[in-house]
Amino acid sequence: MTQEHAHPHPEDEGPPSEHEIMSRAMQELLEEKGLITGEQVRRRMELFEQEFPQRGSRVVAHAWTDPAFRKRLLEDGKAACAEWGLDLEADRLIAVENTPQVHNVVVCTLCSCYPRALLGMPPTWYKSENYRRRVVREPRAVLKEFGTVLPESVAIRVHDSNADMRYVVVPLRPAGTEGWTEEQLASILTRDTLVGVALPRA
Amino acid sequence: MTPSAYAPAPQRRFNVGERVRVKQADPPGHRRTPAYVRGKEGAIERVCGAFPNPEELAYGFDGEPKRVLYRVRFHQHHVWPGYEGAPHDVIELEIYEHWLEAA
Amino acid sequence: MNRNPADIGGETMGEMSGPIDTVDHGMKFWEKQANALRNTLTGSRVVRLDELRRAAEELGSRYYALAYFERTTEALRNLLLEKGVFTQDALERKMDEVRRRYDA
Repeated sequence: MTQEHAHPHPEDEGPPSEHEIMSRAMQELLEEKGLITGEQVRRRMELFEQEFPQRGSRVVAHAWTDPAFRKRLLEDGKAACAEWGLDLEADRLIAVENTPQVHNVVVCTLCSCYPRALLGMPPTWYKSENYRRRVVREPRAVLKEFGTVLPESVAIRVHDSNADMRYVVVPLRPAGTEGWTEEQLASILTRDTLVGVALPRA
Repeated sequence: MTPSAYAPAPQRRFNVGERVRVKQADPPGHRRTPAYVRGKEGAIERVCGAFPNPEELAYGFDGEPKRVLYRVRFHQHHVWPGYEGAPHDVIELEIYEHWLEAA
Repeated sequence: MNRNPADIGGETMGEMSGPIDTVDHGMKFWEKQANALRNTLTGSRVVRLDELRRAAEELGSRYYALAYFERTTEALRNLLLEKGVFTQDALERKMDEVRRRYDA
């Protein structure tokens, strides 16, 4: 069991950092004390790698094609997902829709709260101090850094995920996607569009 | 029972649309009310529900009694002096009831 | 003046602020494992997410010196020491053991 924990992975070249050693050591101590098992940790890694990251695009693609689901999703994101068969674990999901008048963007200024069970791990930029510092105060300048420019006629609505709720953006469905399957629609609903720093492109 | 993003909050001080002000306070310890909205005025956007108080959970207490959490909408130009975006830009945060006063 | 090093929303004026690296650099294997560990611990209620956040805030000025997963690892360590799940001594011994396995 201990051999497996210490086995360096090919993608991680070079000696392990002190923090990597610390993290592995803590995990082993916790396992030895019977507080967790290696299997639990492996299972979480699998979920984060394979399951969670695909969900957001599928949920929003479904909302684009099914008005009743869209309505339900906007009313109660967690309930709509549960009814559709997706367990979002602890995430209290609120879905916010972009309209021709309003563009939504999400941040957690205090740490890195993010709907992980819907989108997987947050990108490094979302967790970065400069995103957390700046997007609440100068959202248009920040969006521009991501290549997203919105006219003054569109209001920017920033959501600071600072307590118990989690957010996903329902982008505007672009022209030219009429008749697309949900799978095709999901393919343009990238993670960045669901956090609000990018717009989906047909 | 279907999971929900929200929890019930039958006993609450505020309702959707009401104008509120975030307390201007700087207590030590774990708080989920960012400094940038303290002292600012906004409106209740939605009631999230009653949850255990994170300020207590952070220290190993059970966070009871639960506190009501609200989403509050602020106009950006009310939050930041010299805000450079559009006049209708807004920012929305989750604020616990004990951090709010009627405005 | 704000004592919480994590409470940085709106601090755009200081020398600490700057452009955002908009590329997602992903996670190394150990970071994915650290994330899964953290998730497993909160799921089993060994620790609470709120406690982890508070422990990160208590890093004080060290908060800014550490990268994201370094911060979460130190916060977790401090919290588990606080809760008496293991001692500093036991952790150091285990870290030496892990370090030796890499060197071997």
